[in-house]
Amino acid sequence: MSNQVQNKKGLTVKDLIIMGVFAALLTVCSMIGGVFFAITPTLTFYFSIGAALLPGPVFLLLLAKVPKRWALTIIGAIVAVLSLVLGMHWAMCLGGLIGAALADVIAGTKKYRSKKMNILAYIVYSFGPTGTYFAYFINPQAWASTMLENGTTQDYITAMDSAANWRVLAVMIVGTILVAWISGFVGSKLLKKQFEKAGITA
Amino acid sequence: MIELQQICFSYADGTDGGLKKIDLSIKKGECVLLCGRSGCGKTTITRLVNGLIPNFFAGELDGKVSVGGMDISNTPMYEIASYVGSVFQNPRTQFFNVDTDSEIAFGIENEAIPPTELHIRLEDTSEALKIKHLRGRNIFELSGGEKQKIAFASIYAMNPDVYLLDEPSSNLDMTAICDLKEHLRLIKEQRKTILIAEHRLYYLMDLVDKIVYLSEGKIEGIYNQKTFSELSEATRKSIGLRAVNLNRIHPLSKKTLYPSAVLELKDVTLYYKKRAVMEHINLKAAKGEIIGMVGHNGVGKTTFLRTLCGLHKQYSGDFLWEGIAQNPKERMKRSYMVMQDVNYELFAETVEAECSLGIQNPDYGLIDRTLAELEMSDYRKRHPNTLSGGQKQRIAVAVSMICGKEILVFDEPTSGLDFDSMEQVAKLIKKISEDKIIFVVSHDYEFISQVCSRIVRFHQGMIADDFTLSAGSERKVGQVFGLEQNSDGKE
Amino acid sequence: MTPPTQKTKQFIHFDPRTKIILLILSMIIATTVPSLLFECVLIMFIAIFGLLCKKIRYSLIGTTVFMALYLFTVFYLQNSTGTMHTMFTAWLSLVFKVYPCGMLAGIAVSTTRVNEFLSAMSKAHIPKKIVIPFAVMMRYIPTIREDWHYIKDAMRLRDVSPSLKGFIKNPGMTIECVYVPLLMAASKAADELSIAAVTRGIENIRPRTCLVQIHFRIRDILVISCFLTLLIVGLFL
Repeated sequence: MSNQVQNKKGLTVKDLIIMGVFAALLTVCSMIGGVFFAITPTLTFYFSIGAALLPGPVFLLLLAKVPKRWALTIIGAIVAVLSLVLGMHWAMCLGGLIGAALADVIAGTKKYRSKKMNILAYIVYSFGPTGTYFAYFINPQAWASTMLENGTTQDYITAMDSAANWRVLAVMIVGTILVAWISGFVGSKLLKKQFEKAGITA
Repeated sequence: MIELQQICFSYADGTDGGLKKIDLSIKKGECVLLCGRSGCGKTTITRLVNGLIPNFFAGELDGKVSVGGMDISNTPMYEIASYVGSVFQNPRTQFFNVDTDSEIAFGIENEAIPPTELHIRLEDTSEALKIKHLRGRNIFELSGGEKQKIAFASIYAMNPDVYLLDEPSSNLDMTAICDLKEHLRLIKEQRKTILIAEHRLYYLMDLVDKIVYLSEGKIEGIYNQKTFSELSEATRKSIGLRAVNLNRIHPLSKKTLYPSAVLELKDVTLYYKKRAVMEHINLKAAKGEIIGMVGHNGVGKTTFLRTLCGLHKQYSGDFLWEGIAQNPKERMKRSYMVMQDVNYELFAETVEAECSLGIQNPDYGLIDRTLAELEMSDYRKRHPNTLSGGQKQRIAVAVSMICGKEILVFDEPTSGLDFDSMEQVAKLIKKISEDKIIFVVSHDYEFISQVCSRIVRFHQGMIADDFTLSAGSERKVGQVFGLEQNSDGKE
Repeated sequence: MTPPTQKTKQFIHFDPRTKIILLILSMIIATTVPSLLFECVLIMFIAIFGLLCKKIRYSLIGTTVFMALYLFTVFYLQNSTGTMHTMFTAWLSLVFKVYPCGMLAGIAVSTTRVNEFLSAMSKAHIPKKIVIPFAVMMRYIPTIREDWHYIKDAMRLRDVSPSLKGFIKNPGMTIECVYVPLLMAASKAADELSIAAVTRGIENIRPRTCLVQIHFRIRDILVISCFLTLLIVGLFL
């Protein structure tokens, strides 16, 4: 129960500020989770898995505080702008924006109040950073061949076409879904156990 | 200028601070102080004047509020903002920008004032408030007092007709409060209308025209400077108000016989970012002592206490407990800090769960007894976040007792507390002090006089003063706190 | 973006929009680059820009690291085979796509102040609904760090270890101890920030003016044209 004015439709200044604060938290959480993966050569594709680990509870609480249309999309936009300014690949920024917009739609189907839908929205949101990697996987030879003057080696081509390559893609997808689901689930539990009782939800 | 007519208000969620049939009228250029116990409604009145009620805080409102002819309930907040400027108590969460210049200009930028005029206002403001040295800086690097000055400057730049301040001195030390007083004097000379809700009264005594005392939502008395200072100390305390004249506060005599020292610091030097912050600290303390730590902000009190508790590891020298040197980990097991913002220390979903958090085999009997001793038994099943500030503090103290901590540190425990709560905290600390060593960091002269047995003052990286607090050392304590001794400092 | 500490003297001051445009151009160049050698040229351009912005040490280190990776690619990767080769090829092809923008971003972020960036955003007529959350996000990120220090202290005093070891020992409790105070503090901060903003007229329907005035100058046009030329040359090669 809150004594603060709730009845305004659309995003109020208070909502926008909550969104800013929580966007900061989302960014920091995903950076902390993902940075280790991003800089290790073998694990770089699993960045989205690491990034999805921590922000779940933040995401769930955000939806509990601002259960309105466009909140997630705008957050996606500003996080994308921040990633752009920090020099991330354009596919990641675009992916992030699309992921957030889709998440907005998904969570919106139940008016942002259904925990299950919100967790699903979070999973979709977590696929944002995979943009770069999908862009890569569409044509790995093209990316590598500009780098290597004499073109890609047969080894590389076979490796990229082989099961090993598909396995990486599969791990990336399944891993992200799994970790995002766990993180979102922990978030819903925390909401129930603590935040709703503490009176900080809308 | 400001008219409250037949105001009745109650918050939607039932929190304290509602108002019952308030009629108040404030003339242009008047400086009015609203005082009373916590929950009496003084903050609510400020919220009615600046429009936060009904735009931000929901509740049932009857009656009319008008400022300069504007009907507040029907005026959008941004229009009100041009006439009524508000300064709040917590410097940390008031600033919207990262650098000082942008923060000072924030309000006037919102008013869409043309860019050339923005610069002129910025210059005038920093000139008038004497804050040129704070221009172009990162707000995160400023001290609490400096942040509060920027907050004030931000409102000054908007040049409103009415200034509203809600407990502006809560987090400030004595020097900063003096600066605040000068700023208020300045705007008073400009014939601005000033409304202040405050607990700390002494610094306003020669500025205010009218003092309104509220109790449980009703106006119980209206005084002017003269009639208010004629109230006896006993009356003042019974109606729950803080000191009007600090020179009338006398340190209480405490017991002077303590068992031998248990804690000893030998030649301790503290380092922060490779620089020596404090050097050659020698200190002895016995159980039962309540030691007040005093010194300017930035002198290193926090670093010292964090090192004592084992949280800060860059130091040289020895910390001895009963003669045996203690490493940081052992000190951590022995100490506990009740932080200025207790919220960082509350983790669990009920008071009960909080008390048993982190303990391998909790002793429920001990938990029950402790909660009873601190008068918190009724709140066992409540979520800590729903309690008041004072109650949260008590939980933190309960936790330290249950964990058997022998060194206890309180960091500014009374900021923003009214007289009764401050006395309660003092009583609490005295009660639990018998088998512990307690360190208190505070700027609150009234509080320290009541509760501390000894004062340690830090200055320029060394212990400058270390003396016991008694009637005899009153003058010295006053000096340490920077009190101006009036020639008629006697009752 | 950096908050100002002292008046940092830059050799040449560039409009924040210039830096954004350069970032976008670099991004396009990196995506359409015909060869690695061409990318070296791009890095050179970026390094010179960095020197102009007085980021001397940074530009030198950035170029050196890139050279090291370049030489590694040219001499080792071209001629090797096997799993190591595949692994490095995959990773490095990603790195090379991201490196120029990352390096330029480092220069941009450390030489632009938050308020300049916000001024650029409002000049670009980006709606308030996006600028306000962005500004708040930039302002709150340092606060998260402060909050975390306090929470870490509090956890250690309660014998709950804020580390990986503690998490493995008792995950539930560590999770609660980290998230609960952090999110409660965030919630409270959001409320107080809103009050501080609303009582200073942020809801005003008229568009805000800006203290920091930014304008394009000759130097901005010159620098943008250089990068634009590089882009066009790259497209034709």
